[in-house]
Amino acid sequence: MFTPILDAMILLTVMTPVMGLISRKSKKVKVVKAYAMLAVIFALMLIPLYYDGVLTGDVILVVHGSSPPIGVSIAVDTFSIFMASISLIIGAVTIAFPVAEIEGGNITGYYTIMLAITSAMIGIVFSGDLFTLFIFWETMCISSYTLVAFRKERWEAIEASYKYLIMSATGSMILLFALSFLYGLAGTLNIAYLSTSLAEGVENPWMSIALLMLIVGFGLQAGMAPFHTWLPDAHMAAPSPVSAILSGVMVKTGIYGFIRVLMLIFASMYGSWHITLAAFAVLTMFIGNFMALLQDDIKRLLAFSTITNIGYILLGVSIGSYRAVAGSLFHVLNHAVLKALLFLCAGAFIYRGRTRSLMELAGIRRTMPITGTVFIIGTIALIGLPPLNFFWSELMIVTAALEAGLPYLSLLMILNVMLSSVYCLRLIQAIALREPTSISRRAKEAPVMMLIPILTLGLLCVLIGAYPVPFQAFAEAAAKVALDPKTYIEAVIPP
Amino acid sequence: MIPLAYYIACSTALFLIGLYCLVMKRNMIRMLMALELMLNAVNLNFVALSSYHVSGMVHPLARVFTILSIGIGGCIIALAFVITIYAYRHYGTLDVRELRRLKH
Repeated sequence: MFTPILDAMILLTVMTPVMGLISRKSKKVKVVKAYAMLAVIFALMLIPLYYDGVLTGDVILVVHGSSPPIGVSIAVDTFSIFMASISLIIGAVTIAFPVAEIEGGNITGYYTIMLAITSAMIGIVFSGDLFTLFIFWETMCISSYTLVAFRKERWEAIEASYKYLIMSATGSMILLFALSFLYGLAGTLNIAYLSTSLAEGVENPWMSIALLMLIVGFGLQAGMAPFHTWLPDAHMAAPSPVSAILSGVMVKTGIYGFIRVLMLIFASMYGSWHITLAAFAVLTMFIGNFMALLQDDIKRLLAFSTITNIGYILLGVSIGSYRAVAGSLFHVLNHAVLKALLFLCAGAFIYRGRTRSLMELAGIRRTMPITGTVFIIGTIALIGLPPLNFFWSELMIVTAALEAGLPYLSLLMILNVMLSSVYCLRLIQAIALREPTSISRRAKEAPVMMLIPILTLGLLCVLIGAYPVPFQAFAEAAAKVALDPKTYIEAVIPP
Repeated sequence: MIPLAYYIACSTALFLIGLYCLVMKRNMIRMLMALELMLNAVNLNFVALSSYHVSGMVHPLARVFTILSIGIGGCIIALAFVITIYAYRHYGTLDVRELRRLKH
């Protein structure tokens, strides 16, 4: 119907309740979980099978109904495949992590919605027109509201979900309003056609209004600074694997929207969005860092650290040069892996310690040596020390800012990287060095099913740090395609 | 024929009223109504722009958008009401100011 990987994901998502029924009848809870994991891994294996050409720079176009300016289209390029691979890898790992928090609850529903959010994220990055993007966007948002409110018997989940729903739905409405103006200006919402027909419209005031609304709409989902308030609450109240998928990949779809829309449609207006976005990025970094210093709740602290990293990524996007966007995309990958790792470790701590407070979890590394050590390695990576993955992407963004002649931006970023080491060191001190409390003395090492995803992500983290070349090359290929509208437009519009 | 600017002014005003309600109102159900108002403003904008884009006829694309976005809006509001019901059970009130326990 669309393109193999998206078809497979949608079909497998719809099939999940059937598997849930089978697992209930056979009294084996594991069936539905194994099914969900296999589904994501199957979709991941389809990438090398069907998208070999895309990895080297081709664009696949699938059209439904009438031809592009009117009809619905799917356009897959290297940038889309880059984002889709991240979603699938993090999706597979988070689905593999046992959800101790909803034991005895609606397991089938949980895995169905996890698969739905993964397929919606793939749909977002594969869509060739903005309205298809919006439909998948809303599918993703609705799934994530449900996942945040999944433990509905707890007040904090309901409160966080309501707050998130109101803010994010407002963002979606603002986005849709901007799309209606773009439609009015060009008569289509196909990204390639918008790109050609709006290339000259720099002087049009409606373009500026639409641009501002798009920045607000995508920024709300990405956790950009004045609109970030939903993010810590939602991450804190959701079950840990859900926090991992929200923080690892879902906020990155906002970044995808930024890059796609700004580089393809508003490329000619670089002068007007560059400074605005840079200001938002710097504000985001500072707010994330300062708020993270004040937190005692481990998941809330990690959520504020996510906001900081969104700031770094947005800074790269706002610079807009090839190396800066490549650095941003590389940071998207690194942050997805690392933050998923940290949230899963936090999930294991919470499972054994039954508390989220750092004061009460102090010294837990002594009783949970493997999880604790991986968590410490992850935190060291979060500081940005050389042999680990964050160093490379942060270095790329900082040097790109210098190359682009914006030294004050790289200075601000270095300042923020230093600030973020303060709360990272605090995390290390709390988890590893402080005297164990009674809670952490009673804790045991996490079960094997939790350790497997944690160790996988930890290894990936160290691997990217020690041997960044292939990953960096993939990010650079994606950035090249994202910044070069010509191939994309030629693939969609027949010459 | 009524000029296009009137329609756009009307839909923008409707959108801003929705935004105002969302920010100022304290009742959870009223906030959801404000969201729906914003969605309707967007739909009005789509339809108005579609009939002026090609003179003498209506562009079919915007109709598709509008119908789909009404459907999406229905989904969001349905889910929002479910969450509102749970919030009422937990907090015993529909006043959104009471939903502030997470700050501390």
